[in-house]
Amino acid sequence: MNTQHATNPLAAGLQDAVHESQKAFRQVLDALARPGQVRTIGEALPGVALGGAMARLLLSLTDDETAVYWHRANAADGGIDTLQSWLQFHTSARAVQQPADASFAVVTHALQSPDLSHYAQSSAASPEFSTTVLIELPSLSDGPLLEWHGPGIQDVQRVGLAGLHDGFWAQWQANHATFPQGVDIIFTCGESALGLPRTTRVRRLEGV
Amino acid sequence: MTNTAPPDAHLARPAWLAVLARASLQQLQAPLPPTATLPTMTQVRPAEVGMVMLRGRIGGTGNPFNLGEASVVRCAVRVGDGPLGVSYALGRDKRRAEVAALCDALLQDPLHHDQLQQTLVLPLAQSQAQAKAHAHDLVAQSKVEFFTLVRGEA
Repeated sequence: MNTQHATNPLAAGLQDAVHESQKAFRQVLDALARPGQVRTIGEALPGVALGGAMARLLLSLTDDETAVYWHRANAADGGIDTLQSWLQFHTSARAVQQPADASFAVVTHALQSPDLSHYAQSSAASPEFSTTVLIELPSLSDGPLLEWHGPGIQDVQRVGLAGLHDGFWAQWQANHATFPQGVDIIFTCGESALGLPRTTRVRRLEGV
Repeated sequence: MTNTAPPDAHLARPAWLAVLARASLQQLQAPLPPTATLPTMTQVRPAEVGMVMLRGRIGGTGNPFNLGEASVVRCAVRVGDGPLGVSYALGRDKRRAEVAALCDALLQDPLHHDQLQQTLVLPLAQSQAQAKAHAHDLVAQSKVEFFTLVRGEA
């Protein structure tokens, strides 16, 4: 109707909130139980500038008790404000400025993502309070192949994540070493998602 | 969402939302323009039923206490690219919440605002005020004033 709506449209959420969020929850549960295996979460939501998996996971996992940290690639990232108000409208999840305060973190520009140690690390007494980081990637299979080992993986799982920066796997090793503390990561790309829980060990194939 | 309303409607919107929340489905549906003439309606938040805690104060003063829970239904819709229409109402009638949200969206649209104010909001506001006054009168007849007479020799 006027320019206000063109720049700040409030997009719709899940049309069948109960069943669609249950389905997304089941898939992401499987994704974290079987690290490295790709799960389909669901198609994109009209008017939301996020992949279908990322948007649906945010709507399914957050509520008024979870704080969400939105990573901004640059300070004037107006699209993030739109997404913040969209999520707040649908789930009442509040946004926080510091990654250390967040229950969930949303990273859409993985190349500039903050160091994993900046997120909430929780404590040995209650390791469940660490941040779950949702990272949107250009591809879950076209990157350099890595070997994943650990709970939920029979022998070895080969995963080729594309679009991560060079220092990321060194940060992951440090994160893995702090077990039982440390963050869990869910990588998304379009409709698909893949889990990387803190228990998973990652080795470079080239380095072996 | 007051920033999406036309500037002259800022004060009026809470008033018409209150009127819409108390209206019945039939009252809301009658004056609406036929849906064929409207742009497509998007359900931004499909109608959902929830609970609210009603709180009160004894005699209108004192500390608030929890009176009990009531079911409410709420809905948010958008007509075409227009403003967001919302509704909250007591009860579980989802269809009524949708129609009330549609009314709110159209009332914020300058195309429909004046007509709907005349045909929908004003008549409903009047009948609701009358019904409230009537109930008030009925209750006032049975009001009892307690007082104590001074006994014995004054």
